[in-house]
Amino acid sequence: MSVFTKGKDMKRQIVAACIAVLLSGFAIAQEAGQLEVQTIVQKEVVTTNDAGESETKLVEANTVIPGERVVYTTTIRNVGSEPAENVVITNPIASELTYESGSAFGAGMVIEFSVDGGNTWASPAELTVVDEDGNARVATEEDYTHVRWVMQNDLAAGAQMMARFSAVLD
Amino acid sequence: MEKALYFRDIQGIEAQASTQGQKSTLKHSRSNLFGIVGRVWQPLLASLALATPMNAAALGTPAGTVVDNAATVDFTMSGTARQMTTNTVTFSVDERIDVVTALVSPQILVVANDVDRAILFTITNTGNGTESFALAIDNALAGDDFDPVAAVPEIRFDTDGSGDLSPPDQAYVPGVNDPTLPADASVDVFVINDIPGTVVDGETGRSQLTATSLTGTGPPGTEFNGQGDAGVDAITGLTGGESSAIGEYLVADTQLSVIKAFNVTDPSGGSTPVPGATITYTITVEVINSGTAVASVLRDPIPTYSTFVPGSILLNGIAITDAIDADAGEYDTSGVPSVVVRLGDLVLADGIQTVVFQVTIDN
Repeated sequence: MSVFTKGKDMKRQIVAACIAVLLSGFAIAQEAGQLEVQTIVQKEVVTTNDAGESETKLVEANTVIPGERVVYTTTIRNVGSEPAENVVITNPIASELTYESGSAFGAGMVIEFSVDGGNTWASPAELTVVDEDGNARVATEEDYTHVRWVMQNDLAAGAQMMARFSAVLD
Repeated sequence: MEKALYFRDIQGIEAQASTQGQKSTLKHSRSNLFGIVGRVWQPLLASLALATPMNAAALGTPAGTVVDNAATVDFTMSGTARQMTTNTVTFSVDERIDVVTALVSPQILVVANDVDRAILFTITNTGNGTESFALAIDNALAGDDFDPVAAVPEIRFDTDGSGDLSPPDQAYVPGVNDPTLPADASVDVFVINDIPGTVVDGETGRSQLTATSLTGTGPPGTEFNGQGDAGVDAITGLTGGESSAIGEYLVADTQLSVIKAFNVTDPSGGSTPVPGATITYTITVEVINSGTAVASVLRDPIPTYSTFVPGSILLNGIAITDAIDADAGEYDTSGVPSVVVRLGDLVLADGIQTVVFQVTIDN
């Protein structure tokens, strides 16, 4: 057996192993996957319709320039037969983005923010950060690292919910 | 005995004195900015972004940055706590083309036939990628009285950072050394003009500098596919990739003639300057050309070893009280005791203004 063939065999084995890992991962997801979860990112585009009126549409955001606003929407659907309890959706706010004040919404949800990478959570008025001089001040949108939606009721089997927020690219 | 003093650019001296301070402050802050943004751009950008998101916002997310996001969902089902992660959504940051040209110099005071009179501007790349800019001047502007004549070369960089036109300052040659600026970096540029010989006092002439992105210009949102940093799309921002600023020259060709004469009367009726003698000073002020001496003020300190004679001030033969009040002058003792007379805006047609006051020589 040449060295070359050996290498090829090894490659095959690695591929096979990978497929096995993928399959097992898929199996775990299926087992836990009583929810379907999805996130999309969009941005607003203003167009003029045939009647000459300007219309604002949300389109998929592939590229963005500084100063533009992007909208993140996470949807959850309970595809299982049991209700989902204590549902919490957590979304990081990338360092390049600044959360847009008041933009987060989700029906029947309590919305909270974190300024420490998701360790502690509070409403905007209660969030504080410590400045360079060691003084505490009320956090501003620039300080937010994460936003989360805490669902107040169970998500019944077959039900669907949506959480959304917008942010501006720095 | 006569002393004749000629002041040229009376207005200019005052204006320049007050603007020089301003200039040096501006220069200071500009050089700081350049030091931070221009020379240590990359490391600083990184540390600023980490330290304070506010500063990162001011700089603008660099073109080509990829921003990811995935949400996590925690829930309990059938008594078991679970966590799921959504798909990851990604967008990349396009290059936004923006530029701001700003006038730095105050109004430049000139006289007819002046050459190489420079106006300082700062051009700042306010986009989020590296851009090169073409520079151009325009002197055929509305709203002024004369067109400055572009010198050769007409644009120079403030190469030595002095804020004043000086020999090391490199000439700008379009297409050869168009300035290339990283995001938020700026460059100082002089627009240089000669002043025509036909101008008269009080006339203004304007000169405009325009910086134009070499990638392209257009209304905000104009796209240049694949022409941004590292091949991302470039899109014009609010400035449209082009920015102009206008500087102004003011012809301030004012010459004042000030002549001071004195006459001594001694106690014995002679004209010997002995203690107790009275000296009558006569000061004549006159504009001797086409200019306007704006808000002219005559201030004459009382010589040492002499004492002001109360009530002795006359302007064109009319008495002015010693008190600081609504009339045109006073005997001002707040600093060095001085006679102060406000002559207002003077032009040639006003003729000779004569101020008279008296002192006695101390014993």
